[in-house]
Amino acid sequence: MTETTRLADLTHDELYLHCIRCGLCLYTCPAYLETLLEPDSPRARIALVRAAAEGRLDYSERFADRIHRCTLCTACEKVCPSGVEVEKLLVEGRADLAEAGLLSPGVRRLTESLAANHNISGEDNSRRLIWTENLPQPPLGAGKAQAKMAYFVGCVSSFFPASYSIPQSMTRLLEAAGEDYALLGEQEQCCGFPLLVSGQEPRAEEMMRHNLERVRALGADTVVASCPSCYHMWKHVYPEVLGELGLRVLHATEWLADALEQGRLKLKPLPGRVTYHDPCDLGRKSGIYDAPRRVLRQVPELELVEMRDHHANALCCGGGGNLESHNPDLSGALAERRVQQAVDTGAQYLVSACQQCKRTMANGLRLLTKKGVKARLRVMDLMELVERQLE
Amino acid sequence: MVNTAIVEELRGIVGADYVLTDPADLASYAYDGTFQERRPALVVSPATTAEVVAVVKVAARERLPITARGMGSGLAGASIAGEGGLVLSLTRMNRILEIDQENMMATAQAGVITGDLQNAVAAVGLMYPPDPSSLKHSTLGGNAACGAGGPMCLKYGVTQDYVQALEVVLADGEVLRCGGKNIKDVTGYNLVDLFIGSEGTLGIITELTVKLIPKPAATRTAKAVFPRMDDASAAVNRILLSGVLPSKLEIMDGTTIECVEDYLHCGLPTDAEAILIIETDGDAVNAQREIETAAQVCKDSGASEVQVARDAKEADELWLARRSVSGSLGRARPNKLGEDISVPRSAIPEMVRRIKEIAFRHELRIVVFGHAGDGNLHPNILFDRRDPDELRRVEEAVADIFAAAVELGGTLSGEHGVGTLKLPYLEMAVGPVAMRVMRGIKGALDPLNILNPGKVLPRELHCERA
Ligand SMILES: Cc1cc2nc3c(=O)[nH]c(=O)nc-3n(C[C@H](O)[C@H](O)[C@H](O)COP(=O)(O)OP(=O)(O)OC[C@H]3O[C@@H](n4cnc5c(N)ncnc54)[C@H](O)[C@@H]3O)c2cc1C
Repeated sequence: MTETTRLADLTHDELYLHCIRCGLCLYTCPAYLETLLEPDSPRARIALVRAAAEGRLDYSERFADRIHRCTLCTACEKVCPSGVEVEKLLVEGRADLAEAGLLSPGVRRLTESLAANHNISGEDNSRRLIWTENLPQPPLGAGKAQAKMAYFVGCVSSFFPASYSIPQSMTRLLEAAGEDYALLGEQEQCCGFPLLVSGQEPRAEEMMRHNLERVRALGADTVVASCPSCYHMWKHVYPEVLGELGLRVLHATEWLADALEQGRLKLKPLPGRVTYHDPCDLGRKSGIYDAPRRVLRQVPELELVEMRDHHANALCCGGGGNLESHNPDLSGALAERRVQQAVDTGAQYLVSACQQCKRTMANGLRLLTKKGVKARLRVMDLMELVERQLE
Repeated sequence: MVNTAIVEELRGIVGADYVLTDPADLASYAYDGTFQERRPALVVSPATTAEVVAVVKVAARERLPITARGMGSGLAGASIAGEGGLVLSLTRMNRILEIDQENMMATAQAGVITGDLQNAVAAVGLMYPPDPSSLKHSTLGGNAACGAGGPMCLKYGVTQDYVQALEVVLADGEVLRCGGKNIKDVTGYNLVDLFIGSEGTLGIITELTVKLIPKPAATRTAKAVFPRMDDASAAVNRILLSGVLPSKLEIMDGTTIECVEDYLHCGLPTDAEAILIIETDGDAVNAQREIETAAQVCKDSGASEVQVARDAKEADELWLARRSVSGSLGRARPNKLGEDISVPRSAIPEMVRRIKEIAFRHELRIVVFGHAGDGNLHPNILFDRRDPDELRRVEEAVADIFAAAVELGGTLSGEHGVGTLKLPYLEMAVGPVAMRVMRGIKGALDPLNILNPGKVLPRELHCERA
């Protein structure tokens, strides 16, 4: 179309101009669905950023609160007829707020820990392999100096005990498939994602560069990540910021789907109903919907059912965009809503492919159960489920 | 006008989280689906009729103007509060209270999203036909208050034809229940219809009972591509005269097609001057026969290509394209002013010609789409409000479009309402006698002029009499 300006040609601060405030995004927004208040809608967040940019509204604590009450799940972007890039806009908004000293207190603690320890946990980064300590023997990839593949574990799985079993399963699967892989151990740093979404790109860049150097030092040609956010960073943001990587970047589900279809792993039957939750960073933001479902189809006797909202329409679990650091209650309420959708399918397993989704939804399940909802449901990561089925 | 004591009193009624006064929150209720913007003094979100009553009583006592708000998708500036006003947001009143299958009626709170009601009744084989393109982002209360229509309304009628009963909180906090489940009812004045299109100026709708119909067994959809706009608009009447009553008959012009195609990439012909999208329904045989007739008429009227959708998926894609029109216009220019003129069907070709001529004269881009079958067209003027000269030309073009519509026997608005945007032209369209009657009605129901003052009728007109 000749006269129409392409959005890609526009600078970010022009992006909000294209919001015509039709309101179509409201019903896609998990936070809005929870409170039914306009300030919790994408349309309002865009309006706030715009009003501030145009000098009609001052930054304030409430302003910052509203901008942070968003999981950056981008469900709104998927339906926006005007093509407003909401995530970009809000990340920029957060950057401005950070500069004005109005970063959410919870998010500030998180980023301070990142600066000090290069991970989100607050623990010393030398403890990166703590998740391997209760294994009968250390993973083969630990301490390896050279390997074809680097497994990038990510902060949450490395440091949060409830998630240890994800890298434990993943390493066991890599080994069962005979993969030549290495862990970065204490040389692994945060992928940069939490800094980037709170608008602190320069700090993120340092860690990104460090991680890339470590992977290159292994002589690896492939990076595999079980965390969708790490994966998204490696796949899409690293090349944008650091230039061509010369590496194949895979999400664990992609690697696993191939390994299963090539017959490199043999699985026992699992007679049961499973529903799959698409993590925002893996589905909507990276376009990976099929790989995890291909994996599930390889499990004999397993019945895969979809929730009401799935694929590009999947409802966010509430764990994205640093919302959990900013407002744990809202994050929990979002998780409840998502888990309820899984309960409604009658599934016995709610499976995701993201440690953060698993944590958030396990919490959502607890909250629901506390309210008396009868849910015979287990929340698991896809890696855990498949590893259990190894022959 | 709003002091802390009032805020505290309101918080006591609806809960602290549901009274908003922070500038950042007020900025979130400053707009609707137009380019207008004005911040209210405060926002109150009640959850029950009792809370609405209590809030209205406080407002009446304090002479605080109240603007009801649904999802703020309105296209007339009607849900934007005036200076110092209170926005009464009804989105939390979102419960479907009853689906009465035997009488084929549903009762719901005013804040229920129209699409949610449609889905709920479809699950039991019933249909709620009014289908504004905004069905996923507008409320039943807003639809009633604006008299919303949609493609389906050609055959099945508009919101007004489906609202059977209302619960309305009046300006003094009294609760009026009018209408009922009786299909026929001439017991006194028709109070239900009085509130249709009243844009929050006569009362706050809190609950609605709407009629449902059985879902037709089959639908067929076709797309007809016209190299010439004139031929497309002429084809509309020919189809209707051929004895076919399509369930939907929509028109989109060239620029509209380009914007939607840029959004959806669904293979619309970007070099055509217009397309018609036609749907027929009924039993399978009937729907098929009618779509074939309509397709033939299009071919005979200059269509270069007519394609009948092969399956539901193809049909859904076409209707998604149609629903996306309004939203996707943001791709072309930052602002749009969507008009909503309604003309006798026979005047469509002439009206379209005049719109194009007006666009040319004022050097503006005006796109045309709409519900061709019932003469309700949406000329949308695309502009950038940061350009004062362009803004002036927009205003002139609006006046010209309204004048042309009225001259052709038409009127200003078919389904979006008057709000503030069309207010200056109201008298031109309805005449002084109707204006006096409307003012009388407003005075009778809202003697203090606190219900959305300055919408539909000028604020002062009423004050003069009071
Ligand atoms: C992309 C887009 C497409 C659209 N397509 C159509 C279409 O096809 N057909 C159509 O008819 N309209 C359409 N509209 C316009 C708009 O969606 C309708 O006017 C809709 O009825 C408004 O509903 P709402 O809940 O958003 O009301 P709001 O915009 O919040 O309010 C509109 C008016 O109704 C009043 N109101 C709202 N709720 C109540 C209540 N409970 N009691 C009393 N007064 C109340 C408000 O005071 C205001 O005057 C479209 C809008 C957009 C942005």
